[in-house]
Amino acid sequence: MAYLPLANILHHKLRTALSVLGIGIGICMLVTLTGLTRGSLFDSATRWEQIDADLLIYPDVWDKDVVTMAGVGVEDKLGQNILARHGDLVERVVPVFLWRLEMAGQVHLSAGVDAADWSMLTRLEAPGDGRLFAPRASWKQYKLDLEKRQFPAGRPEEAAIETDRPGDLEEYGWTEMVIDSRLARAGKYRVGQFVTTANHRWKIVGIAPAGGMARIYLPRQIAQHLFGNSEALSTMFFVKLRPGVDAETARRALAAPRVQVAPISQYRSALKEKWGVMFLYVDAVNALALLIAFLFIMITLHTMVLERTREIAILKANGAGAFFLVRQVLAESFLLTTSGTAVGLALSAAARWAINTYRPLLTVTIEWQWIVTAAAAGAAGALLSAMYPAWRAARVDMTEALTFE
Amino acid sequence: MSDTNAANPLVSARGLCKGYGKGRARVEVLRGLDLHVNKGEFLAVMGPSGCGKSTLLHVLGLMTAPDAGSVCFDGVAAPARAGGRTAIRRDRIGFVFQRFNLIGVLSARANVAISLRVRGRRDDGLAGELFERLGLSEVAARKPGQLSIGEQQRVAVVRALAHRPDLLLADEPTGNLDSANATGLLDVFREINRQGQTIVMITHSPEAAQAAGRIVCMRDGKLFDHNP
Repeated sequence: MAYLPLANILHHKLRTALSVLGIGIGICMLVTLTGLTRGSLFDSATRWEQIDADLLIYPDVWDKDVVTMAGVGVEDKLGQNILARHGDLVERVVPVFLWRLEMAGQVHLSAGVDAADWSMLTRLEAPGDGRLFAPRASWKQYKLDLEKRQFPAGRPEEAAIETDRPGDLEEYGWTEMVIDSRLARAGKYRVGQFVTTANHRWKIVGIAPAGGMARIYLPRQIAQHLFGNSEALSTMFFVKLRPGVDAETARRALAAPRVQVAPISQYRSALKEKWGVMFLYVDAVNALALLIAFLFIMITLHTMVLERTREIAILKANGAGAFFLVRQVLAESFLLTTSGTAVGLALSAAARWAINTYRPLLTVTIEWQWIVTAAAAGAAGALLSAMYPAWRAARVDMTEALTFE
Repeated sequence: MSDTNAANPLVSARGLCKGYGKGRARVEVLRGLDLHVNKGEFLAVMGPSGCGKSTLLHVLGLMTAPDAGSVCFDGVAAPARAGGRTAIRRDRIGFVFQRFNLIGVLSARANVAISLRVRGRRDDGLAGELFERLGLSEVAARKPGQLSIGEQQRVAVVRALAHRPDLLLADEPTGNLDSANATGLLDVFREINRQGQTIVMITHSPEAAQAAGRIVCMRDGKLFDHNP
């Protein structure tokens, strides 16, 4: 094999393996950490963007905090008013009550939604496994039934109806929930299982494919009642416009006091704005990891040059010029970093698989953009880390190296 | 006394001076040395260790420039620029070293191939022919570590000759060989010299020097004719 850099790499197997692994880990960190932070963070944005709606309406005081909002925000009647006043623009207004519930050891966004609106929020007809929650009666009817049951002789004026008794809630189907498949996998939940969260026992009646707006779906009225102390306030509205209606025109038309009307894409930009500093941190860690990996390569190549001074002197004696010698060192560096980059990408794929399998609630998104960035970083690192060793190789004093042989 | 054998010189060195170190630590190795090597000549340079034989070889091989004096190659003064000297070395000179200096990670054949590659030459078949002639065909695929000392030195000879150099410079080529291998190598040198190859061989072995057509001795940085 006359290709010296390749022969050197194949000959020094342990050194090559360690160098390739060093670079591979650096590249893997770059791709995986980036994919994990951006993937997990933007996962909710991606899920919101698939909702079959065009605009969001939420309290203007939340502004950029739209990404963390939960609880009461807008009056349900505002939604009805919008539909009544702007029926020419608006096809549908969907109220949603958002809350955070802990399941499988993690807090998740849960959405209190009306069963009729669930399809719009998930783009699914029905959960893949089980069914959608189905309260036996409206909240109003539920309260009337309880009143009759608790006060057969008529309710005294000062007495309150106990609406939160577990048996009653369960009997009427108010504590049913649908979760998504990733949460089910993380918590090993199955349809029919009871779980306790927010001081209530809930029955999982359906498991939907992941990708809908939330991980947990509850009947909206129970969410409003338990977490908002009001059955007339939701967190926000999703608005679907009539076909052909310009979103910007509608956004201006729907403007109202104390609410903000924004396109759904606003959610992603708000996420970026709120958490952008975290990317700086992650990118700095990635850059440091890559720097260490390439310093490792530089030390390896430098040691190689020092070890092979006589070999280089022989090549020079045979007429090898500085360009030839520099090319040899650069080629060796490129071979190592190319292999390292390939190993790093393979490790990233393996890491993604492992994370998806063992931590299904995390999202790793490996995008072409980051693969290209990793390859470019590998090439730049190869060049930079080989420059000094290559310079040393070109400056080897052949008479000295051969005199003291 | 200077070398005056200048009938048809391939290499002419005049007034060569070369020293190492600075100040009081400076050692003058070559002190106004003259040497002419004719085309087709087989010259042996003898002398005790440390007398400057290898330095002379490096200067003749344009691996280093003299502090003073000049080297002419085929009647043309060697360029002062390192790049110019490299070009002559690459195209017209072959080296054989005492410790062979083969590249350990490459096979015998690849050692020769990379030497041609460095020189921008294609294998015109001479390398294979030399492998055959020197009894190396069977071991050409082996790496230096798998070859005997004698085989390694013969591979080094093939490497030095494969690009058809005008001048073969050999620095103690038999220094690490046993007598059988040394005799074999000198036979090869004699044979290629008979075919017209110009050879300058550094040696401190009188037996090895006998293979050459002319012997000069080096002492105190100058050359003297060898008078047995």
